[in-house]
Amino acid sequence: MIQLAKLSKKYSDNLVLSVEELIINKGEHFGLVGNNGAGKTTLFSLLLDLIQASSGRVTINDINVAKSEQWKKEVAAFIDDTFLIDYLTPEEYFAFIAQLRKVDKATLQDFLTQFASFFNGEILDQKKYLRDFSKGNQKKVGLAAAFIGNPSIVILDEPFANLDPSSQIRLKSFLASEANKDKTLLISSHDLNHVTDVCERIVLLEKGKLIKDTPKSPKTLKELEAYFSEQ
Amino acid sequence: MNLFFLQWKETFRAPQWEAKLSIKILIGLVMLYFIGAFIFGASMVYPILNKEILEREPVEVFNGIVLYLFFFELVVRFFLQQLPVTNIQSLILLPFKKRQIINHVLLRSIFSGFNTTPLIIYLPFAISMYRDDYLGSQVMAWWFSLLLITFCLNFLIYIINKNNAFFVGLLALLAGTIALDVYWGIELGHVLGRAFDAVVASPSLSFLFLLPVLLSYGAVFYFLKRGFYMDAGLTKKRTAVRGGEYAFLNFLGEDALFLKNDLRMIIRNVRPRQIVLMSFLFLFYGLIFFTQDIYRNQESIMVFAGIFVTGGFTMTFGNYVPAWDSSYYKLLMTQNISYKKYLLSKWNLMVFATAVSTLLSFPYVYFGWDVMGIILSGAFFNMGLNTWTTLFGGLMNKSPMRLNVKAKAFENTQAFSLNQFLLIIPKLILPVLLYWLPAKFIDPLAGYLTLAAAGILGIIFKDRLANWATALYLKQKHETIEAFNK
Repeated sequence: MIQLAKLSKKYSDNLVLSVEELIINKGEHFGLVGNNGAGKTTLFSLLLDLIQASSGRVTINDINVAKSEQWKKEVAAFIDDTFLIDYLTPEEYFAFIAQLRKVDKATLQDFLTQFASFFNGEILDQKKYLRDFSKGNQKKVGLAAAFIGNPSIVILDEPFANLDPSSQIRLKSFLASEANKDKTLLISSHDLNHVTDVCERIVLLEKGKLIKDTPKSPKTLKELEAYFSEQ
Repeated sequence: MNLFFLQWKETFRAPQWEAKLSIKILIGLVMLYFIGAFIFGASMVYPILNKEILEREPVEVFNGIVLYLFFFELVVRFFLQQLPVTNIQSLILLPFKKRQIINHVLLRSIFSGFNTTPLIIYLPFAISMYRDDYLGSQVMAWWFSLLLITFCLNFLIYIINKNNAFFVGLLALLAGTIALDVYWGIELGHVLGRAFDAVVASPSLSFLFLLPVLLSYGAVFYFLKRGFYMDAGLTKKRTAVRGGEYAFLNFLGEDALFLKNDLRMIIRNVRPRQIVLMSFLFLFYGLIFFTQDIYRNQESIMVFAGIFVTGGFTMTFGNYVPAWDSSYYKLLMTQNISYKKYLLSKWNLMVFATAVSTLLSFPYVYFGWDVMGIILSGAFFNMGLNTWTTLFGGLMNKSPMRLNVKAKAFENTQAFSLNQFLLIIPKLILPVLLYWLPAKFIDPLAGYLTLAAAGILGIIFKDRLANWATALYLKQKHETIEAFNK
């Protein structure tokens, strides 16, 4: 369970995020939508203790992320390409993450086979460094790596951006299959279609404030589209 | 003209200018010092090449060895000169003629700092020539031809830089030249020297040196024009990945994880390779001091030199410790990593490199066991204490590191701070005291032992020191992430 309490982030006098309370339950598929600058990445960075909150706190399974590092065992994330080590090959990168997450070689091989269609033959055995891959393929590597070792919470920022349509569809079906594993999934996106497809709870962020927090229903997509067209 | 303004903005909006005023002044002074040292050194060359002893004109002697100067210059340029080629990617679609852009890049490269050799080395020599009864026209012609050759080298480096095979060829050429000279007595250097002698004899010949400049310019022009596409000449070349398994490290178990990554980082990126090369050069630092009798009796300077001989890698690599990983620091900070293990693996790497340097420094035994004693005890000090001091210093170094880009001269000066300056005290002055005090009041052996013992204490208490460093690193976590994100 992830709890945000009276959380805010200020840059000098500019309040970029202010959340009174937000609770994300275990196993929930949580979608975060909002325009550019709404504070989506700020929110995720606070969850991961990458930036320091101006006030309030984040707890993951009752561990305050700013105080202890125990939460890292449960959480994996892919926020942007700074989560990739660009002078490694994909195989070396996966092996590095797997070792950090105490996953042995055979398990890693098994794990990677399920991505065969997602990788589309363009990731493994390429004898190339990550820095020489296209943006889309780099993203595939980062996304797959976030699931190594079966972490119970996975945080993905804009997972669909930069992916081609086939890969977007494959990613969606993979995320759906993970849904059955009692995994908490946090996803942000500009793309309302994708988020409403994958997530069962949608939270709308605007200028750092929670505007809307609804369980997904057949009407959700329409409502969201209506909201954003008025902006 | 448009291109000129772009250039102007690029120069004056570069991050280097945003450094603090005090640091700018300091850099300025350091640069002045080096320029002055070169000019002074170069102006000493003429009197040293004494006519009476060598029974030849100094300029002839100089002309005879100038070929080797050119080789040396090419090697230095190969490692350090960053070509402005990549900047033109963004211009490729704009309405400039290809010819225009290439000419711009090539002409601009003439103003590179690497082309100052004619000013700081050849000019002082030329002035000495003038004062020694050569005609103004002779001196001008001689200097002018050397200037033209410098331009020629400047253009050639474009081609050499694109392909490592050319560099290997260059080294082979150098080896061949030396072999010809030593084994068969064919001195190519003298052949080229004759050409410069001829210029001194009849100054108008100097215009013939325009020919190699035009040829090299033409060659580079052709080379760039052919590769003027996004996927060809302008982007960095890809090479198929080889190796990188380092299975021999597996005996280290978990500790091997970061060590393997560090090795890959060093081998696969330009910037760390430069650093390793530099730390190799540190090995020869002792030659300056141990060979001269003036220093042999000054123990403090000997310790100083001894620390540098084995500490090159520690001091250059350790100084950028979290910065090496700046491009993926956020990943490290969210993974289930013990920061202590991360630091200890860097420490292991530095200790290992110091051990290798120590083995390589054994030839110094030639200068006597007192020199070797200083180097060995200094090596222990480097392993046990200087490793930790540099790790603390590295933490203050909050500029992100672009791994696969060659460093420009003085690039990381923004990272320089008063604190790092103060760290010189424990790094260099403390070992001098540790040796000097017991050596003065007891005997030299006590000096070696105290110095080595201080290092060994650092190794024994590495766990405690690592805990301490970890706490400091974690305290600065957010600040560091933010700085690396820029």
